[in-house]
Amino acid sequence: MHIPDGYLSPSTCAVLYGVAVPFWYAAFARVKRLLNTRLIPLLAVASAFCFVLMMFNIPLPGGTTGHAVGVGAATVVLGPWASMLCLSIALLIQALFFGDGGITTLGANCFNMAIVGSLVAHMVYRLGAGRSALSSSRRVMAAALAGYAAINVSAFLAACELGIQPLFFKDAGGAPLYAPYSLHIAIPAMMIGHLTVAGLAEFFVSGGVVAYLQRTNSSLLQQALSGKAEEHASQPLSRTNWGLTRPLWIRLALLMLLTPLGILAAGSAWGEWSVRDFSNPEMREKIAAVSGNIALPARQPQGLARLSSLWSAPFPQYAPPFVRRPAFGYVMSATFGSGLIVSFFLLAGWIFARRENGLSKGPP
Amino acid sequence: MSVKSRGVIERSLSSFVDALQHTFDAEEIAKKRGLLQRLDPRVKILSILPLIVIAALTRRLRVVIALFAVAIAVALLSKVPLGTLAKRVWLAVLTFTGFISGPALFLTPGRAMYSLPILGWSVTAPGLRAAVYLVMRAETAATFSVVLILCTPWSNILKALRVLRAPAVLVVILGMTYRYIFLLLRTAHDMFESRKSRMVGQLEGRELRKMATASAGVLMSKTLQLSGDVYLAMRSRGFQGEVYVLDEFQTDWLDWLMLALFGSIALLAFWFGR
Amino acid sequence: MNGPIFEVRDVTYRYQEVTALDGLNLAIMPGQRVALLGANGSGKSTLLSILDGLYFPQKGSVEFRGEPLTENRLQTPEFEFDFRRRVALVFQNPDVQLFNPTVFDEVTFGPLQMRWPRDQILLRVSEMLEQMEIMHLKDRSPHHLSTGEKKRVALASVLILDPEVLLLDEPTAALDPKSESQMIDFLVSCSGGRKTVVTATHDLDLIEDVADSCHIFQRGRIVATGTPAEIVNDHALLLSTNLIHAHHHAHAPGELHSHPHRHGHRH
Repeated sequence: MHIPDGYLSPSTCAVLYGVAVPFWYAAFARVKRLLNTRLIPLLAVASAFCFVLMMFNIPLPGGTTGHAVGVGAATVVLGPWASMLCLSIALLIQALFFGDGGITTLGANCFNMAIVGSLVAHMVYRLGAGRSALSSSRRVMAAALAGYAAINVSAFLAACELGIQPLFFKDAGGAPLYAPYSLHIAIPAMMIGHLTVAGLAEFFVSGGVVAYLQRTNSSLLQQALSGKAEEHASQPLSRTNWGLTRPLWIRLALLMLLTPLGILAAGSAWGEWSVRDFSNPEMREKIAAVSGNIALPARQPQGLARLSSLWSAPFPQYAPPFVRRPAFGYVMSATFGSGLIVSFFLLAGWIFARRENGLSKGPP
Repeated sequence: MSVKSRGVIERSLSSFVDALQHTFDAEEIAKKRGLLQRLDPRVKILSILPLIVIAALTRRLRVVIALFAVAIAVALLSKVPLGTLAKRVWLAVLTFTGFISGPALFLTPGRAMYSLPILGWSVTAPGLRAAVYLVMRAETAATFSVVLILCTPWSNILKALRVLRAPAVLVVILGMTYRYIFLLLRTAHDMFESRKSRMVGQLEGRELRKMATASAGVLMSKTLQLSGDVYLAMRSRGFQGEVYVLDEFQTDWLDWLMLALFGSIALLAFWFGR
Repeated sequence: MNGPIFEVRDVTYRYQEVTALDGLNLAIMPGQRVALLGANGSGKSTLLSILDGLYFPQKGSVEFRGEPLTENRLQTPEFEFDFRRRVALVFQNPDVQLFNPTVFDEVTFGPLQMRWPRDQILLRVSEMLEQMEIMHLKDRSPHHLSTGEKKRVALASVLILDPEVLLLDEPTAALDPKSESQMIDFLVSCSGGRKTVVTATHDLDLIEDVADSCHIFQRGRIVATGTPAEIVNDHALLLSTNLIHAHHHAHAPGELHSHPHRHGHRH
């Protein structure tokens, strides 16, 4: 899932770096505040662990092997923000030293695996584990599911990033400049592998690590899990976690929804527009299946004007099928889908926070 | 990815050993008296990094190929054996990128150029362009990266990152991470070796999974333990939260000359590859 | 200074149901060279960590230079700064102590934390590396060093600050005979003068060279005190505290000084 150099266009790389940086900054500030001086050795050693973990090949049912990213285990034991940093560092080292993942695409890889991965794992784990006992098997399952969800969301994002490349970035001859496969190929290709193979690997590692730590009655797990509870006890959930991160998430969701604007504004080759019924998946599939030789009848130089008018019209008119510029529909669907996922978790977390606050306000 | 489950230990072990091997190679080449080895690490970073970025993002095939030639020249001048490069970089990148871009040869819509004899699939012109772009770009970026890494000790690379305004904390953490990766690799390696020597016959997939995840759990325990101990060792030496980086870098005329040279190459590449 | 540099009174330290130190009393005078003898798990490492202000006892008190050494006091930057400069601990496991990417970085870590000026650091580091004969290892990474080399680097990184008190935890453990004798030479050369040296070890060969007085630890208490000569000859004591193995013959009294044959069993 590590995207190498050359697969993403400059504007895509820049946008993703731009999104990653505030998260890195926030994660660093937050971890520093919580851990003070212990930060440095803990992050370093935990990053080394993530790196080494990525080298474990795990046998999966069916006779194949896959490797886990470690985001599930790292998030459960270290918390999402520390996990974000540790994974980013491990990815940086892999890119610089082992050439696994590109340097220009480091922002993208960190965003997919470290940032979004950690946050998804955290939320799934919190929702799944609830208030169950530290040694319960429910926590094991929650951790396993958290890892599975995280790695699949990461894969989906990577697929989207790769998939939109050929739609926007072609050279004069029409050949894709960067990643050559569009969404309808990229998404299934990535997701099939991750929903099964890699996802299972992550599932087993995340659950297995937590189960192991439970079994050995590890004080580390106690510390990690109860440490977080203590932190929450001293500051109500709504004020710290969500107070700090919600604006970030909202900005992120907005940013994702606005990505088409950004990519357009960067001056890449865009031309005609097609107006699509993007909420109709069948239509999108049909368009994709058609080979692209048909030119669009009308050029739309004022794409931005079109864009804003489109947004006010959620169900745009249908246009004849062609492939050269279905880009808009695809991008919208991809980013909209991602935005939906993000909004879902925002909502879930907000509800969770409300409920916890309500509970903590118990009888006097 | 289709490997029998009994091979998992061997595969994990071999990737550990490979990682260790990689560093030994790197140190060998970093000691030679080649062009890159002589340069100040900061100059190297400022020269090579832009070239990697431009190579990865440029739009013209000609520019990519020119940059690839530059990369090879730099490698030769720095006494990096081309055989090493071929084995480590070119083959790996070709396999991975070729695997990805292979189907693009046939699937990209456009004018058909050549048809495969038996299958009848046709390679299209845009498909070919796309595949070549992808491969060449990846090869060039990778070549520059690896040559830089091979010719510079890792700790110097980290310290040189400060010239790019990387915060000292990041540099220190990266340095410690690098140092402890090898410790953990050795620990994991020893864990596997000891289990392997106690194993009679082959384990089934399920047991292997249990073992692998248990190993991960042990590794994590040791990791957290280690970080606690290292923290104490740091406190014992006066660590109070601030980190400092000290380097012995010195630039001379050659550094400035090469910086100017690489800078010009980068500018030209950028201009022509827009 | 008149009084003891370290005064340990009735210190008890428990960790996860294990009592590492049990009502321990000890006074160390400035300039003294002390050996803490005991089998593994007898509590000597724990005591060193307490003396270095890394762990704090649940019961009892520790005084450094006549003033209490508490967690609170060590939270104040000025006191900690001063304390860390004066007291140095060489850990048993060099992989924990060598946390920097290269030997050079390791030795400069202390001076950097003490905010020495750059030129002074570079100068002192060169001198130190020469002195410990590790100049050729300057740019190496710790995982490429042998155990003996690692221990020398650890020692160098600590000695560069010229501490008043040197706490050594098993300095010769896991060393081959040649490295061991080299290490002993270094320890002897740097323990001259006003330095207070406290060495924790279970190696009887070491104590004659690095210590003037010994305390024997067993289960978190000091069970005997004496000079190296006295201790080494008291075979009954050594047997009961698990410092020598029952199978080996002990040498006749008087045959104490450096000859290759060992008195005790080494694991």
